[in-house]
Amino acid sequence: MGTRKRLVSSSTSEPSSSSNPQQTTQPNNPQQQQQSPDPPIAPPKWGFLLKLSLFSIPYFYLIYFHFSIDSELRRSIIINAGLSLAGFFVTVRMIPVASRYVLKRNLFGYDINKKGTLQGNVKVPESLGIVVGIVFLVVAILFQYFNFTADSNWLVEYNAALACVCFMTLLGFVDDVLDVPWRVKLVLPSIAALPLLMAYAGHTTIVIPKPLVPHIGIEILDLGWIYKLYMGLLAVFCTNSINIHAGLNGLEVGQTVVITYAILIHNIMQIGASTDPEYKLAHAFSIYLVQPLLATSLALLSYNWYPSSVFVGDTYTYFAGMTMAVVGILGHFSETLLIFFLPQVLNFLLSLPQLSGYIPCPRHRLPRFDPQTGLLTGTNDGTLVNFFLRNLGPKSEKSLCIYLLIFQGIACCFCFLLRYLLAGWYK
Amino acid sequence: MGRRKRLVSSSSSNPQQNNNRQPQQNNNPQQQSPDPPIAPPKWGFIFKLSLFSIPYFYLIFFRFSIDSELRRSIIINAGLSLAGFFVTVRMIPVVSKLLLKRGIYGYDINKEGTPRGKVKVPESLGIVVVTVFFVVVILSQSSNFTANSNRHAVYDTALECISFMTFLGFVDDVLDIPWRVKLVVPSIAALPLLMSYAGHTTIVIPKPLVPHIGIEILDLGWIYKLYMWLLAIFCTNSINIHAGLNGLEVGQTVVITYAILIHNIMQIGALTDPEYKLPHVFSIHLVQPLLATSLALFSYNWYPASVFVGDTYTFFAGMTMAVAGISGHFSETLLIFFLPQVLNFLLSLPQLSGYIPCPRHRLPRFDDQTGLLTGTNDGTLVNFFLRNLGPKSEKSLCIYLLVFQGIACGFGFLLRHFLAGWYK
Repeated sequence: MGTRKRLVSSSTSEPSSSSNPQQTTQPNNPQQQQQSPDPPIAPPKWGFLLKLSLFSIPYFYLIYFHFSIDSELRRSIIINAGLSLAGFFVTVRMIPVASRYVLKRNLFGYDINKKGTLQGNVKVPESLGIVVGIVFLVVAILFQYFNFTADSNWLVEYNAALACVCFMTLLGFVDDVLDVPWRVKLVLPSIAALPLLMAYAGHTTIVIPKPLVPHIGIEILDLGWIYKLYMGLLAVFCTNSINIHAGLNGLEVGQTVVITYAILIHNIMQIGASTDPEYKLAHAFSIYLVQPLLATSLALLSYNWYPSSVFVGDTYTYFAGMTMAVVGILGHFSETLLIFFLPQVLNFLLSLPQLSGYIPCPRHRLPRFDPQTGLLTGTNDGTLVNFFLRNLGPKSEKSLCIYLLIFQGIACCFCFLLRYLLAGWYK
Repeated sequence: MGRRKRLVSSSSSNPQQNNNRQPQQNNNPQQQSPDPPIAPPKWGFIFKLSLFSIPYFYLIFFRFSIDSELRRSIIINAGLSLAGFFVTVRMIPVVSKLLLKRGIYGYDINKEGTPRGKVKVPESLGIVVVTVFFVVVILSQSSNFTANSNRHAVYDTALECISFMTFLGFVDDVLDIPWRVKLVVPSIAALPLLMSYAGHTTIVIPKPLVPHIGIEILDLGWIYKLYMWLLAIFCTNSINIHAGLNGLEVGQTVVITYAILIHNIMQIGALTDPEYKLPHVFSIHLVQPLLATSLALFSYNWYPASVFVGDTYTFFAGMTMAVAGISGHFSETLLIFFLPQVLNFLLSLPQLSGYIPCPRHRLPRFDDQTGLLTGTNDGTLVNFFLRNLGPKSEKSLCIYLLVFQGIACGFGFLLRHFLAGWYK
């Protein structure tokens, strides 16, 4: 189901490094004569990142000035932000290093949307999500030692969250390496989400929207195990929906960056507006996991944005999807999360006929690239990418991606608007 | 540092097909002949090993009167582990096909020169083991009705450490990361364990030494946590370097886990305080699935090996046993079970530290005429045994080493018996 941005995933071989294990880099003797020495990947796009980092201004304004947040809590958030920033720089530093190893092991692809141009012949390393996943886990584990607002309940949920994310990332990397069948891909997130379902100690009730109360008759409905089933399905949906809303340089990471930013704003607003300390802790918990996700994703985006120097692989999409599902569930804002995921939901609905087999489903459902004009044209495939192209006309890859990310941002703003209008609808 | 049983780690592989995403049966291998299926599991061997379960269940049901709630949770876990065994046996050939297709295999160095030395053996089958293990542990956690929310924290911490460690193992198997990274990142993977350790940090001074030292109980505080941390790093890496023969890595794990289970049951039977029993129950809940899934892998990995386990497995097994030992409060006993690994580590120190030149492989020399292995001057337990026992075949050498592992575990039990009262 994941649209793979590659035509050939592996070709010629490499001998194993039979040299001294004490050295960290070994010179390789390529046995096949048909490949040229691998070029180093392009440097990160710092200018692009600088422009994006301007968004942090409203965020920190909210933390420091607009709301009066308990200073203990604020300190924990800032410490987490500091660790995340360190994680950002480590990730930026490690991606080129990991790329070399990945290329050596033939985990690369060719950029389909540049086929026919010079860039279409460059070997792009895949699965750089492993760097993001490892740095994220290290930051998250180290943060436990710095958190001052911890209590035993918090530790339980935190460890459950990390167990889920870690296992999911492992499965994602296994999928990248082994290419598991798509039926297995559906089941795996459910398995990885199990620790979460066990540790979830919150309520399983939903609040009926005020307009519907007179019709249904009750205000609060206890769903019990159905709620847990919903949580499991949410994990499956989040992980796979990012995977299928993909195929353009920077789309997977970009959508994650937009959604995580919206999540952070939502969390801060909830902390500022609420008086219930339990409620605040739930949102703080979400911040502690999402800040590292955002920071490491930005580091990856600096390489993955158009034109991509690295591909993220299923490792990244699974990791990001699971982390967002986990914070949505444990932070008790999964319905809000679903509205942030509106483009992914639309993409999924558009894709249903082909995914279910009702309409024949090709290997790739990407738009058609014309090397003469450098523009993409929409096919009749049922994806949001093609939908946009069919209605907006042929676009370049970069501008199409920007349109899609703006649409993602609009969906998030729409959610905030909806919450404002229906204040009192949410618990 | 990891002993790789391979000369060439990858060669040609198959291009992606641009057709429907179904498990491809119609690949066009360009440069290689069709991959042969792996040999079936060695059921006879497993059956002989399963006879060891008789004393174990005797202890559970008859010898000790164990609280029926506890016994039920142990049996449920054992049942799930048994199911896990069969699932693993079923899945290993399936995953092997995928691994071979992706070029993750090696050639058996200890059969170089014989026809077997040309067979492509799939590597990193540890991923099957860890996936089944994860599912079994979670399912047994959910069916264990005596759990409250704090117990969940211990399980989740354990799963977190183990899955992070396995993830690193698999990344290492695929990408071959430098050994310095292999030392640093596991240190971080072991940290959650320290956070959730809610037990005491005291040690009991052995009775003979009390008059000299003057106190009976010594609170080590953070030094104890440092010891726990180093133990986790040690366990994960020590299995990795005590390797290189068919079935050695899995075999040593099977022997040690069996000893752990016997120890846990004996402690549960002998202790009266329920607080002290719970850590051992937790250890059983982790170790039974480990043993069951490892036996499944063993049925393929025993001589002659059809699959290789990879760093994925050795890191996973080492971390799981370290977690069980630390959370179960029997880490000192665990260290004695790990005696052969400790000896191997001490023998290896000169070469690992660089004092003596360290070759890529420190395996014994294989003579394809006689079919026997001869010990080199490398500092490993494998070579030490060969130098003193003379040239041996790979299978009998492995059996010797596993018997030695069993003796070390028996010695651990003996030591405890004599120094009863030494342990808390």
